[in-house]
Amino acid sequence: MQPYIQGRNVNLTFRPPNRGPVRALQNFDIDVNEGEFLSIVGPSGCGKSTFLNVILGLIRPDSGDIRLRGSPISGPSTDRAMVFQDFGLLPWRTVQANVELGLELKGMAADARRKVSQPLIEMIGLAGFEGHFPHELSGGMKQRVGLARALATDPSVLLMDEPFAALDAQTRDLMQVELLRVWQQDKKTVLFVTHQIEEAIYLSDRVMVMTKRPGRAKKIFPIDLPRPRDYEMRVTPEFNELKLQIWNELKDEITV
Amino acid sequence: MEIVPTPAQEADSGEAPRRSFAARHRDKLLGILAVVLFFAAWQAIFLVVPFNKLFISKPDLIVLGLIDLIKSGALLRDLAVSAIPFICGMALATVVGVALGIVMGWRRRVGLALDPLMTVFYASPLVALSPLIVVYFGVGFGAKILIIFFLSVFPFIFNAYAGVRAVDPLLINVVRSMGGREIDLYLKVLMPSVLPYIVAGARIAIGRALIGVLVGEFFAASEGIGYAIARFGDLYALDKMFACILVIMVIAVAMTEGIRWAERTAFPWRAQ
Amino acid sequence: MSELLETGMAPAGDFAPARSLWRRIEPAVLGAGSIVVLLLLWELLPQLVTLQAGTKMLFTTPSKIAVTLWNMIVTGKLWAPLSVSGTGFVVGLLLSVLVGLPLGVVLGRSRTLNAMFDPFVTAFNATPRLVFLPLLMLWFGLGVTAKVVIVFIGALFPILINTYEGVRNADRGLINVVRSFGGSEWDVARLVVVPNALPYIVAGLRLAIGRAILGVVVAEFFGAEDGLGVIMVQAASRYQVDVVFAGLIVFAVLSLIMTGLVKLLENRLGGWRPQRTGGE
Repeated sequence: MQPYIQGRNVNLTFRPPNRGPVRALQNFDIDVNEGEFLSIVGPSGCGKSTFLNVILGLIRPDSGDIRLRGSPISGPSTDRAMVFQDFGLLPWRTVQANVELGLELKGMAADARRKVSQPLIEMIGLAGFEGHFPHELSGGMKQRVGLARALATDPSVLLMDEPFAALDAQTRDLMQVELLRVWQQDKKTVLFVTHQIEEAIYLSDRVMVMTKRPGRAKKIFPIDLPRPRDYEMRVTPEFNELKLQIWNELKDEITV
Repeated sequence: MEIVPTPAQEADSGEAPRRSFAARHRDKLLGILAVVLFFAAWQAIFLVVPFNKLFISKPDLIVLGLIDLIKSGALLRDLAVSAIPFICGMALATVVGVALGIVMGWRRRVGLALDPLMTVFYASPLVALSPLIVVYFGVGFGAKILIIFFLSVFPFIFNAYAGVRAVDPLLINVVRSMGGREIDLYLKVLMPSVLPYIVAGARIAIGRALIGVLVGEFFAASEGIGYAIARFGDLYALDKMFACILVIMVIAVAMTEGIRWAERTAFPWRAQ
Repeated sequence: MSELLETGMAPAGDFAPARSLWRRIEPAVLGAGSIVVLLLLWELLPQLVTLQAGTKMLFTTPSKIAVTLWNMIVTGKLWAPLSVSGTGFVVGLLLSVLVGLPLGVVLGRSRTLNAMFDPFVTAFNATPRLVFLPLLMLWFGLGVTAKVVIVFIGALFPILINTYEGVRNADRGLINVVRSFGGSEWDVARLVVVPNALPYIVAGLRLAIGRAILGVVVAEFFGAEDGLGVIMVQAASRYQVDVVFAGLIVFAVLSLIMTGLVKLLENRLGGWRPQRTGGE
């Protein structure tokens, strides 16, 4: 059976105006199954985020083949949605208008949009904040809005680019629990980029370690921990064993 | 256009690792090209349109006029006559404006008391007082200096004021906690914080001071570059008038861009 | 120095209620107080020192200025010249918005056009527009046209440059968000670029108003036969100092009202912004 998302030999080189070219991805291969939660960890600048943007359709690779459900990805579409690291909320739009952005761009009428956004806003626990502007929200609340916005168009693939990196540690833990709860409900395919090994293990079905630039898949770790997962799981020996293995794989790629 | 490249991607797609001279200086070359084209078009249009030298001039005549003005020494004399009140007025505005602004930022009450007053002055078109200044001080040096001073002092006041208020109290505590004395606070925290504001104020003030020079000389002078422009206008000597206008433009650009350059060089830690 | 340090540390709860009331009204009291003191000093100056006859002729007091201004208003002598000045102001400002806004958008979106226009924008923005006045008078005479053109080139550049900055500074991350949802170029402009540029544009408008008023004043001083500025120059030559000050006040009030209206607009448009981002 063909994987849900399949990347073969993806190459991408950036050519910034005033500097030399930067090879972001080289012979990058990836297979993602339907409904799978896959995390990608790797050193800074290894091309993790770039790869998400390739899947999103915002960046076209120089060469290689990248397919979703067998058909090549040629541009953005509502079957993929991204949750951005710095939230990407339009500061001049209220919570509700931000959540409805994708629906609005699809041309949905206002009352139909509201029918979709209202339960989502309730689900993320922001009922009563519909009319607030982003600057009035905490970081955790902002990213909940970001998540709700991504879910609003009901994509089959959720791309998450270090979504919790800008949050403090406690909020981050809570958001991880929240994300698992949401994912458990409708089992979207999730590609999750992070720096934190613990976060990756806790959330994922598989964790992919990338090499330093130009990025390639170095090794993939299946995470066979039972689901639903709870917070205590993080102190079990199995969890720590995985953490150590992944760290050992990753540390050679990191240069300070 | 479905896929939109990120900024990093859009520059070029060729493989050349070292980019050509033209590619690296593309924007500057385009700018120079546009200026050259502009003057060429200005010159060329009179091959089609009849030329009336009492109404318009063209680049070749302007260059001849400029050479004439330089050779006769008239241009240099006029510039020198204008430069002296400009420099005196600006110097006075710098000293008074910076001192007042720093006191306003420093002593909270002084700041509160003077802020609205200064805002009213800044908002009102003080040029409107220039006829009075001329009436009070007569035609000449003193009136020019005063007009320039009044127009250019406010950017210094407001920027020095803002600069002192922008000093980070944390940095003061850092220097204090490491045993810094009062003088260290001034030299290591206050000066570096306030100076960029003052220089930025100077950039604004220069433009206003140039207005002051022109107003002063249009109104009340018998020499100077502003007077020269007005007189050549009266004499329908458009080539020389344009030459003087271009000279002023070059000077104005050189001064403001010079300060910008100084800002970048002297305060590299400030984000552009 | 110590005052600077305290700003970050003063605990708000330490002040008694009476003290905190004073704290709240202190800025207004001090600000108004300094203006009142200055006016009083000016008013009483002739009583405090004996002025020479020559100086006396050139001296006026706030009360005389107020009376003169009042008379100009009630006799209607103010309105005709003011409407002439106002026409030049409004037409010039309107033209500068009509040209500056679209041009700013185009330059903000096109790197090539921006590179080509940059030398001209830099040169005209750095140069006091006043240098062109003798030329404009020669071309357009002493009528309203020269005035409109001076106001126009004065007000154009703040609007043009601010629009350009606002368009160019649109957050790339937000543009990508809209594109990731399949938004078109038009959606990007509508949802990100324009809302981002609006505060810049309004701030540019505020600057432009100041420049436009300046343009009206200088144009009327040197190259017009009608308008409030003309009245002021004529008054100055007849030593009617109070009329000059009355004119200055009218211009200042005009400028304050206009910028106040724009500030109102700014606040209305800026509901999504955190209070006081400071700096512009």
